[in-house]
Amino acid sequence: MSYDYKIEVRDLSTWFGKKKILKEISCYFEDNSVTAVMGPSGCGKSTLLRSLNRLNDTIGSFRMSGEVLLEGENIYAPDSDVYDLRRRVGMVFQRPNPFPMSVRDNITYGPKLHGMKDIDELDNLAEQSLKKAALWDEVKDSLEDPAPNLSGGQQQRLCIARALAVDPPVLLMDEPVSSLDPISAGKIEELITELKKEYTIIMVTHNVQQAFRVSDQAAFLYLGELVEFDKTKRIAEAPSDDRTEAFITGRIG
Amino acid sequence: MSQQIKEDLSQFIRELRSAKGSARIDLLGRFGLLIPALASSAVIVLILTFLWYESALIFASPEGGMGIIVNPTWNPNRDLYGIAIFIAGSFMCTILAIGIAVPLGMAGALFLSEFCPHRLRGPIRMVIEMMAAIPSIVYGLWAYLVVTPWIGSVLAPAFGVESNGLSLLAGGIILAIMLLPTIVTVSDDALQSVPRTLREASLALGATSTETARKVVMGAAMPGIGAAVVLSLGRAVGETMAVLMVTGNALQIPFSLFDPTYVMTSIITNQLGYAFVFPLWRSALFAVALVLLLMSISFTIMAKLFIRWGMKTRGLR
Repeated sequence: MSYDYKIEVRDLSTWFGKKKILKEISCYFEDNSVTAVMGPSGCGKSTLLRSLNRLNDTIGSFRMSGEVLLEGENIYAPDSDVYDLRRRVGMVFQRPNPFPMSVRDNITYGPKLHGMKDIDELDNLAEQSLKKAALWDEVKDSLEDPAPNLSGGQQQRLCIARALAVDPPVLLMDEPVSSLDPISAGKIEELITELKKEYTIIMVTHNVQQAFRVSDQAAFLYLGELVEFDKTKRIAEAPSDDRTEAFITGRIG
Repeated sequence: MSQQIKEDLSQFIRELRSAKGSARIDLLGRFGLLIPALASSAVIVLILTFLWYESALIFASPEGGMGIIVNPTWNPNRDLYGIAIFIAGSFMCTILAIGIAVPLGMAGALFLSEFCPHRLRGPIRMVIEMMAAIPSIVYGLWAYLVVTPWIGSVLAPAFGVESNGLSLLAGGIILAIMLLPTIVTVSDDALQSVPRTLREASLALGATSTETARKVVMGAAMPGIGAAVVLSLGRAVGETMAVLMVTGNALQIPFSLFDPTYVMTSIITNQLGYAFVFPLWRSALFAVALVLLLMSISFTIMAKLFIRWGMKTRGLR
């Protein structure tokens, strides 16, 4: 099937109970690019991100209208397979959340769910995923150790490797470095730039400098509205809205 | 050791002298809290000492000795005090009850925590908590009038066995029912305390909620579920009334689930009244109590070690 954008969001509105969180948002995310979603706390950045893999569906009071197209198909269509969707749209969370299992089992959890059984194949996949997440050299001798014993930065890279192991074309990252120390954060930023070659990455961030460093395009959300959506470079040089300028210069946020 | 305590104590007194006002109250408060903490751990030592003292007679006498633990003949009229039957009976009854209650209780907790509709959750939990408050004699009566006849007239014939229903199986079933509320509520609490973000990580990889509950949430709740099992192990070994009423109390080691059995708590309850004026007999019953206590202590320790090992391999604290 041919499509214009990897993911296209059309007129997306969402509610939790009676509260409207996102207001008629339309934007798109291209292949092999990093999009930063910026905005002050509570502006709906995470809700937007979690609408893209339908993780909001797990919250009872969630409602939405509009469309989200993944490779041209509406993921909210009644016949859409949410489990397959979540395999194709991976996610990394704000705080590292490794499963209470060994490093290896964390990585092979997803592939096993989707039917991979061969031990050699799984081992090989674990190695490849850990290499992609730049963690292999640090953990190759301790694959059987419990994952929660790793450092915070290592745990977050493990979570990235875990997401990559099911081979998703799209990777969502919800403030992936906000709970990490500067050195670990730097490593993950480098990693994101590297991963861009193979994946479509959408990253929520609170941090303007980080958004400018790693993203190709950027979206600025304010109180549920998409205020600005353009090439990052353009936004950094000349924001077209006062609210964007206020945010990137640190006056709001 | 005592040198250390002496130093600690003298240092405490020195600190107390030099401290003033609220600092002094703080020191006294901390020292004051030490006393109840020590006292409660002293109780178990005192009880063990007491049981040892009371049972010393049978362990020292030529009729008894340590051999009674493995000797299966109990006949106080001929001064034969083997207690192996009761140890075996208690052991089998406990294992059977745990074997029934743990899978059922965990399934119940999993349903309550992960799949139960929100509106039903409160009422169901309330009913289960009420089950824990039913006196064991009531469970016993019910089992005696409902469970044992059913085993005798339906289950045993179905297996081609003759039984009046008073059996190891009846004891296991009623004990399991009594353990269920503890296992369900404690495990449910443990499952509920697993962070939402772990469930989301699993869902985000394309897992269903069933897969998530089984493979991630259960693993993360393991220490709490283990605690539930430890608590119920202790209760199972020590439970008296209900088991006494339905196990038939026959002096034999059961070879099938439908055979009657005699557990440690039952022999003590049934015979202590007669035994009180016969020193050896009485002492033998205290020996049973001593073994019972040691058994429940070692069950608890083993279960705790197992949990610690499980937590270590999962990186939980």
